[in-house]
Amino acid sequence: MELHSLQFLAFFAIVFALYYIFNKKKMVQNVILLTASYVFYAMASIKIVPIILLMTLFFYFMGIEIDKWNNKGDEDKAGRITVFTIIVGLLPLFYFKYFNFFYDSFVDLFNLMGLHFHHSVLKIILPLGLSFYTFRLISYAMEVNQCSINAEKNLLVFATYVAYFPSLIAGPIDRPNDFIPQLHTNRDPKYENFVEGLKRFLWGWFMKICVADRMTAYITATAVGVDNGATMFLVALMGPFRIYCDFAGYSHMAIGASRMLGMVSAENFNHPFFAQNISDYWRRWHMSLTQWVTDYVYTPLNFKYRKRGKMGMIMAIYVNLFVISLWHKATWGYLMFGLYHATLFIPIIVRNVQAKDLELKWIKGWILHPINVLKAAGVYLLVTIGGIFAHAETFGDVVTGFKSWFAPWGMPSFYDSFNIGVFLFCGIIVIIKDYLDEMGAKYSILKSNKPIWVVLGLIVFAVLIFFLRGDAPQEFVYKQF
Amino acid sequence: MERNEIIEKITWIFREVFGDKNIVINDEMTANDVENWDSLTHMLMITKVEDELGIKFKLKELNRLKKVGDLISIVESKLQ
Repeated sequence: MELHSLQFLAFFAIVFALYYIFNKKKMVQNVILLTASYVFYAMASIKIVPIILLMTLFFYFMGIEIDKWNNKGDEDKAGRITVFTIIVGLLPLFYFKYFNFFYDSFVDLFNLMGLHFHHSVLKIILPLGLSFYTFRLISYAMEVNQCSINAEKNLLVFATYVAYFPSLIAGPIDRPNDFIPQLHTNRDPKYENFVEGLKRFLWGWFMKICVADRMTAYITATAVGVDNGATMFLVALMGPFRIYCDFAGYSHMAIGASRMLGMVSAENFNHPFFAQNISDYWRRWHMSLTQWVTDYVYTPLNFKYRKRGKMGMIMAIYVNLFVISLWHKATWGYLMFGLYHATLFIPIIVRNVQAKDLELKWIKGWILHPINVLKAAGVYLLVTIGGIFAHAETFGDVVTGFKSWFAPWGMPSFYDSFNIGVFLFCGIIVIIKDYLDEMGAKYSILKSNKPIWVVLGLIVFAVLIFFLRGDAPQEFVYKQF
Repeated sequence: MERNEIIEKITWIFREVFGDKNIVINDEMTANDVENWDSLTHMLMITKVEDELGIKFKLKELNRLKKVGDLISIVESKLQ
């Protein structure tokens, strides 16, 4: 069930109604959330329910065990149990997500050595949302180990945290420190939560079906069998913005649905295309994943290699980006993507460019200053190049991808002017909103909560979504990860 | 080492690492109060504190640091 389907709207309306009928009883609210989450998950495939159930129980008991040894003062033993828990927790992910890649890579290697093996004929399908809830669970074990939270004794609360449906299939990756305490409170219906949530939800829907899906339709129809360099370059340039509207659109819908339920979910995007360098970009793109990897991979590594100064940081960045790329997909293309992005960090670390220097420029200066715009455009181009790696399965695909830009340039094909008109119009609305938000404008679109503006705004966006939606709704890109 | 001596030493380290000769530290100070204190310079500062005061931090201790006062207290407990 996709978040932008009518089926989801009906499902959500029922959950929402039940949830607020019992608003004085937090435990009943959690039972409703948990039941809804498992129904939501089972509707994708009943076969994958036992995996999340077993993982939840395993981490629940191990969390209590880690806590016990920490309280006894045996931090080393707590640490060892944490490592064991994480390794076991990663097994399903390794099997479902990476088995084929490693198996086939070994077969290729053995074949090169003259030993003959066959490629895997086993088609392993990744259970929906596995990468996302595995990361939620690992985060939980790490935080308990670091004593920043206590182990959750209430199994209902813990299971709800793990399976929470709005962000189950594609994030944001909520952290236990912020999320679990919310499940211990009564969530009362509030006008502000409802309106803010509904606005976010509709805005995400708009980004997804009026921009991302429209662009997808254009790209899919245009990019096949074209030998025009200009068209291929244009299509590649559209890539990052399309993924942004798709994935940030999904994130807005998930965060908006949560907000309507009185829950605050982690933020996932902060206008990434205003970034002034690649490090700034990663702080604004898929933030819940970047922050996760920074806290649990980069920081420990950077700490371990701290005596090596900047060299240690660079090593940690490479491992960090390796984990991020592997998290997406185990392909040679994604590994090159990680390597490429990590390499872009080297000049930033060597020159010691501070995050705060960039922020200060925004405050003192003008965002649309030509230098700022040029820097943002440069970052966008670098991200576009990274997209070629990400979409490639093999090194050959990367070469083909880049070569296609250098085919003879002619007039790009604009075969479906209505479609192009829609995503240009709606895309410009997205850019204007991001610009206003980046400036911290009080008058930003969708800011007012006065009933009259809310109703008018909702009508305008409902009409836009209804009339400008694509003909063929697409799945969310990040669902596959 | 007395608390005052530790504060003096950490102040000197902050001034060196964050490149501001006028920094005056206090217990409630956080990364938000110091212009050049980010994830990159944080680790440089921690390493310098270790080297200058001859101590070694654990990652868990580092994760619990919320403000400068916490840093001073941990250093103090390690030097006792």
